[in-house]
Amino acid sequence: MKTSKKEKLSLLEKMLMVRAFEEKAGELFQQNLIPGFIHLSIGEEASSVGTCSVLRPDDYVASTHRGHGHLIAKGADPQLMFAELFGKATGYCKGKGGSMHIADFSLGILGANGVVGGGFPIIVGAGLSIKLRNTDQIGVVFFGDGAANRGTFHEAANMAAIWKLPVIFVCENNLYASTTPVAYSLAGGSVAARASAYGIPGHITDGNDILEVRKIVARAVKRAREGKGPSIVENRTYRYRGHFEGDPQKYRSKQEVESFRKKHDPIEKFKRILKKEGTLSDRRYEDMREKVALKIEEAVRSAQEAPLPDPEEALDDLFVNP
Amino acid sequence: MTHRIMSCSEALAEALLEEMERDDSVFIIGEDIRAHDGIFGQFRGLPKRFPARVIDTPISETCIVGAGLGAALTGMRPLVDMHFADFFTTAMDEIVNQTAKIRYMFGGQAKVPMVIWAPDGGGLRAGAHHSQSLESWFVHTPGLKVVVPSEPADVKGLMKSAIRDDDPVIFFQHKKLFAQTGHVPQEEYLIPIGKGEIKREGAHITLITYSRMTYLCLEAADLLAQEDIEAEVIDLRTLKPLDFDIISRSVKKTYNALVVHEACLTGGFGAEIAARIGEELFDYLDAPVARIGAKDVPVPFSPVMEDFVLPQVADIVESVRKILNRQ
Amino acid sequence: MIEITIPKLGLTMENAKVVEWKFISGDAVKKGDTVLIIETEKVSFEVPSPADGIIHPIVSEGSICAVEEIVGYVAQDREEYERLVTKYPTVDSSMDRDEGALRPPETPPSLLAGNDAPGDRSKLRIKASPLARAMAASHNLNLAAIEGSGPGGRIVRADILRAIEQQHAAFQRELPAPPGPLDLYDRQSIEKEIMESVPFRGIRKAISDNMYQSLSQSAQLTLHTEAGAGALIDLRERLSTSERKVSFNAILVKIAAMALRQHPRLNATLQGDAILVWKQIHIGIAMEAKDALIVPVTRNPDLKSIREIDEEITELVAKTRENRLSPDDMSNGTFTISNLGFADIDHFTPIIRPPESAILGVGRITRKPVVQGDQVVPEPRIGLSLTFDHRIIDGAPAARFLKTIREMIEEPVLMVC
Repeated sequence: MKTSKKEKLSLLEKMLMVRAFEEKAGELFQQNLIPGFIHLSIGEEASSVGTCSVLRPDDYVASTHRGHGHLIAKGADPQLMFAELFGKATGYCKGKGGSMHIADFSLGILGANGVVGGGFPIIVGAGLSIKLRNTDQIGVVFFGDGAANRGTFHEAANMAAIWKLPVIFVCENNLYASTTPVAYSLAGGSVAARASAYGIPGHITDGNDILEVRKIVARAVKRAREGKGPSIVENRTYRYRGHFEGDPQKYRSKQEVESFRKKHDPIEKFKRILKKEGTLSDRRYEDMREKVALKIEEAVRSAQEAPLPDPEEALDDLFVNP
Repeated sequence: MTHRIMSCSEALAEALLEEMERDDSVFIIGEDIRAHDGIFGQFRGLPKRFPARVIDTPISETCIVGAGLGAALTGMRPLVDMHFADFFTTAMDEIVNQTAKIRYMFGGQAKVPMVIWAPDGGGLRAGAHHSQSLESWFVHTPGLKVVVPSEPADVKGLMKSAIRDDDPVIFFQHKKLFAQTGHVPQEEYLIPIGKGEIKREGAHITLITYSRMTYLCLEAADLLAQEDIEAEVIDLRTLKPLDFDIISRSVKKTYNALVVHEACLTGGFGAEIAARIGEELFDYLDAPVARIGAKDVPVPFSPVMEDFVLPQVADIVESVRKILNRQ
Repeated sequence: MIEITIPKLGLTMENAKVVEWKFISGDAVKKGDTVLIIETEKVSFEVPSPADGIIHPIVSEGSICAVEEIVGYVAQDREEYERLVTKYPTVDSSMDRDEGALRPPETPPSLLAGNDAPGDRSKLRIKASPLARAMAASHNLNLAAIEGSGPGGRIVRADILRAIEQQHAAFQRELPAPPGPLDLYDRQSIEKEIMESVPFRGIRKAISDNMYQSLSQSAQLTLHTEAGAGALIDLRERLSTSERKVSFNAILVKIAAMALRQHPRLNATLQGDAILVWKQIHIGIAMEAKDALIVPVTRNPDLKSIREIDEEITELVAKTRENRLSPDDMSNGTFTISNLGFADIDHFTPIIRPPESAILGVGRITRKPVVQGDQVVPEPRIGLSLTFDHRIIDGAPAARFLKTIREMIEEPVLMVC
């Protein structure tokens, strides 16, 4: 698939935005300004941005507990996300959700999810609904290597395959399910390989190469839109931060993290390509970074200034017809 | 209003037929529902009438409920058939963590117009995996409405309301009542979710019940009348939202209350009702609120044991006598 | 620790009777909870807890205590409470949280609650349903005297209904049988038996003390006269509207007030070696409440219009009827009017309410023959009786006061002269 210069620059900017958002969130969390706990996807930006870059605004996305990247990539507003992380009344979910439960139904984002593997059945439902309503939308469910071992994965892959639902299973294999290494927990060693059991395509990508992710996911999107059924795409990637902020990370070495950061960083990789082909100058890059940083600063500032919800609002929004 | 005699099963099918005709977004999804129009014949005529909207699934309860949820979130009105209420256990995350919470967690952005239909209850010699009454689990989960009708007219009216409701409704129907007949109005009607009904009036004690136990309570009330005890029978029909007004009005009249359900006693919904009566109607009580439920064991297979474990008419009569001290 | 004292509820109040403690020593109380019922002349009053804490009464029920006397304490914490208990021994109380109806064994149970002998605090609990308890409380029934027919002997609604019926029947029985043909030789016909013993205490006793003190400690003289009531009736008609009928009492209060303005010595109190003439005029109106004479007071009627006075009286009547008069509604009267016209009384000798010095008795308005010139004509007349304390004012000035009242009744315009 062809990607124009303009598109490439916009992809880079989006990845920078995801990273800036998450680095800022980590910083605010350490300053104890964000309650609860958060899961960051720094290092996995090529997967989220690359995948969402080939989706339409009316396509559906079911996200995960590590979902900030998916949301921003699908178009969510960082200011409303920060407000939600702070538990403010102006947040995406009026402070009822928090980091793990952000949704924007107007953008087709069916929600991050606090239960690992919780998105599979939902995307099957969305796919079924698309089929029953006879539209040409598609649905994407993001999931980690850990979720591939849940029964929901199997039930959903099977059901999507028998009904040829327009959905894509996008695995972000970052080598660890919380503290548990893929080498220990994933039979067969690959999520994509499981696709053959359902008679559907399975692809493995260098999940830190945004252009490759884009190319492969676009192929799956085409298939889905044409009514040929689901695919599994396994983006092999790596997270630099712990499972959650504050994770002691005794399951891996600092050297391992540093080595990935140095050799395989998705942003650096893409930057090198763009520079090499002459699409990106140093100045342009610095301007882009500055613009993103300003936007994030502004988003944080206005989210911080926003009011907290009235505690009694906790009783609202349970039912449409109470 | 003209009436027809109809079974609970027929009443359900008629409700679904009317609603599916009225609204294209209504569909039914579940295991083994096309070949025999549902394993109890409860969807009679529907697969033929709506071939695209009665969908057979693999045996994947988790994904069936989750798919219902995903469809409900994206513009459809699914009715999910649980096959047997006992299989709720295989889909609890989708119901408790997802379906019940999604609207709330996302600050009211979404609506979940889904009905989960679950045939429940014992008395059919079906053993421990096909005989349970699990309603109190769902009453204990904020975000779900729980409906437990008894007679055919209520099944129809409540199912139509449940389909039209924009919130998730767990709709229990007792397996032993499928063949139970009753009068059903000819004209179209709805029965609102959250309203109980007095099925028999009486002055001496209020029997608060629902689902199949309504019929047992009515039988017990007939027997008690021979002893000059007039029992009032309230069929709650919906457990959540609970119609406490109807309970309150009745207890203020009879000063005595007995809750009867088929679910096992400990932690059952009767405990909730008893507690609320104690809190809100203390000064109207002439005796402690009593409860009847199944004994705290899985439902056994052997008929003699099953009958011993599940509440019987004689248990109700005996309990009423004890409360009123009429030995 | 915080003191619970007898509050001063009115100018004349000097002491009060500790009637009932609502809590027993060691109970937790909240600021504002009613902890004590006291009774003064003509009112009973609920004393609120002055603070949150643990209560310790030090004066037993039935005691008479002076205003501002300490009757108990509220301790801030357990430690302080223990110190209090060591210092002041726990007093008896009829209050019992469980039953409020426990009997000492030697006393035969009575259906009526509240005759508990103080001091007996046995911990016997009576089984009664919540409904039965609520009903017993509202019918003032003693649960200890009722046999329960519920499970385990629990008293239930039916038992209370039966007890109410029995009580009713008992009263019927106690009424004397209709007298048969009188037989002088029948011993029974010359015997007398007690039909009812009415407890002489509380408000009844307070009224008695008051009246006795009044007659025994002042020199009372009553003057009678009559006034033509035609103008009074006209005035009342003119002041009344279709929505609101002004009472005669309102006009009479106004007249008495204006007359007192002209004769201030009747608006006075003898105290020690001085006659205190009051600056304000506050006129009490004797009213009949449940089993008691109650005299709520209209304030400064000399400064108010008749309609205003009428509204004030209407409110006081309502409060009396609903038993919600406060001590302030009854305190600091300087003169009283007692109207027995409703019972066709023409004249009587009202008794002064100390420390006041005069009281006006008002009789009925009735048409009487009156000589006008050489004619006898019918005219509505009203009876007036003034009792005054001869110690502070003589007959002639008192008679002039009564004359002023009579003239104002006959010529209401004189009120504004």
